[in-house]
Amino acid sequence: MSKTSYRSGLEEADWHGLAVSGGIVIGRVLRVHGGRQNIYRVTLDDSEIDKEVRRFRAAVRLSKRQLQYVKTRAEKELGKEHAYIFDAHILMLEDRKLLHEVEAYIKKEKANAEWALKVVSDRLLAIYAQIKDDYLRERGSDIEDVVQRILVALSGQRSVSNRIFENAVIVAEDLLPSIMAGLDFTHTRAIATDAGGWTSHTAIIARGLGLPAVVGLRDLYRNARTGDKIIVDANEGRVFLHASAKTNEAYITKATKLIIDKATAKETVRGRFETLDGVGIRLRTNIDLLVENEGLHVASSSGIGLYRSEFLMSQRGTLPNEEEQFQAYLKVAELAKEQPAKIRLFDIGGDKISVALSEHERNPALGLRAIRLSLTHEDILRTQIRAIFRAAQYGKIEVTLPMVTDVADVRRAKRLIEEEKQRLIASGEEIKDLRIGAMIEVPSAVFTADKIAREVDFFSLGTNDLIQYTLAVDRGNDHVYDWFRTLHPAVLKSIHYTLEVADREKIQAVVCGEMAGTPVYAVVLLGLGAREFSMSASSLNRVHKVLSKVTQSEAKEVAHKCLECETADDVEELVRQEFTARWSDLFRPESLPSPRN
Amino acid sequence: MITKEITVVNRLGLHARAAAQLVRRASTFKSVIKLERLDANAVADAKSILSLLMLAATRGTTLKIVIEGVDEDEALSSIERLFEEGFGESN
Repeated sequence: MSKTSYRSGLEEADWHGLAVSGGIVIGRVLRVHGGRQNIYRVTLDDSEIDKEVRRFRAAVRLSKRQLQYVKTRAEKELGKEHAYIFDAHILMLEDRKLLHEVEAYIKKEKANAEWALKVVSDRLLAIYAQIKDDYLRERGSDIEDVVQRILVALSGQRSVSNRIFENAVIVAEDLLPSIMAGLDFTHTRAIATDAGGWTSHTAIIARGLGLPAVVGLRDLYRNARTGDKIIVDANEGRVFLHASAKTNEAYITKATKLIIDKATAKETVRGRFETLDGVGIRLRTNIDLLVENEGLHVASSSGIGLYRSEFLMSQRGTLPNEEEQFQAYLKVAELAKEQPAKIRLFDIGGDKISVALSEHERNPALGLRAIRLSLTHEDILRTQIRAIFRAAQYGKIEVTLPMVTDVADVRRAKRLIEEEKQRLIASGEEIKDLRIGAMIEVPSAVFTADKIAREVDFFSLGTNDLIQYTLAVDRGNDHVYDWFRTLHPAVLKSIHYTLEVADREKIQAVVCGEMAGTPVYAVVLLGLGAREFSMSASSLNRVHKVLSKVTQSEAKEVAHKCLECETADDVEELVRQEFTARWSDLFRPESLPSPRN
Repeated sequence: MITKEITVVNRLGLHARAAAQLVRRASTFKSVIKLERLDANAVADAKSILSLLMLAATRGTTLKIVIEGVDEDEALSSIERLFEEGFGESN
């Protein structure tokens, strides 16, 4: 297929890439670039359309007034010659080509102004991108500036509604951490990117969110326009734009079948199985949103290994009250059925919530967050623990303390928990004992793991934070991205030591975090001594697949060689060689860590 | 209707600033004013900046001005002058 010419006729075009997180989605393209705010489509009622057009016009008028002001100032301060560019921007705001098309789109497609503006401007920008003269082509950025200005003006006014988002599929060249931070994934259905491999950020985040994702699509981004119809087949690694009626129908059938299969699937025993040499493995599920389809996965694993309770506050920025929490934890118990469910106490920083913290923290990752916040503002912990105790009567709920640095944190938390327990008993509630565990995710907790082990019932290894704190690398910071090395010998040694301690002290240890859900890493973890893993639902199958087809003794051999390596590069090279030699049937080359430049 | 061929002489071509001036000038006339790129089969509305920018007229490009309306003569001479002056740009 000729990718350069297909747009004119909009005939079907397809791309092949690497499926990194399974599923099938039929949706609309949302191009994401440069970390700008993202825009979703809202379908309007007929009665709202005129209002929406007026809202758009008002935003344009506001933008124009702003530009007039900027222009006047620029004329004074820089001279008339330099102010001309603002004149060009103002003229764009008056340009019928833009305004009429946006208004026509709002009316015809019953779309919100933001979406209409984005679709129309993307079309314009696509034409500019083809201009051969460098200088003139750059003028596309002027249009982007103007569009951005209108979007800001739109956002300043009350948006029509936030209700239905149609099926947005994020299409990007690559999704760097800084860009991903700005995206609202709760309304995204799938991800398709030009770059990336199995272990790319996109892949990791997609699996974490259980979003179907295909990466390595080369030039999809350039060819896709926001609003285009797109099919993402993240089972086969295929992506279609402008699918023909036939393809479309075939995929509707496939997608429907997937849903039915999921709903009627016999509970496969993925939660509990053995390696080839008979070592028992447990897989558990991480959950965040408490939605129904998470429950289906939980049912086929060994319960919930990590429930991130801070997701309860992400909607409003305030903490839920005791009753709201109680309802949520009941839901957790219900999803887990008869299986255990580990609820991790709020893992948030003081900057995220409206507790009385007047000072802005300069370094929130090392600041008043997680258990520290709950110990400082005791009412947060007390409220949460009461809700948990109450819900625990209806299921096997356990508690995980986030980011403890030593045994003192654990003891303080346990004392508060005990006090609330006594208070509930005094008020006549029937209370069961809670199993309490500690997240081991900072180096000081690793080094004192033997002491902590005597105070808790289990360890949860949070590998994401453990890597961040062990290597002193902020994983949200693009500048230090090269230093974020999952397979760093220091990280592996920390995990190995912690697992050894747990084994010696006879307490349960569950590895959570991204590592557990990534097949390559899961095998390394197995070799380091891990027997229990907790991961996002979408990773259960693939991790089950590899762990049930390797021997623990071989994994151990490889892992112990890794521990002897000098650098992360050496470990990755070793992993590539060993995995290729031993398990080439289980790991495609692109699923192994790729060499860095 | 009157037409006239002119050449873009200013260094940066019909870029945003130049196009802005052209739109301002063209908008003062009642006539319909179009610019055609003879080599690329493209037509732009001189009163639309986005349309003009899409012509991608670099220095040396020949354009045909097509004007129709009650004030077409004044419009043509005014616009012609703008092009000749290179949009006030120092070349």
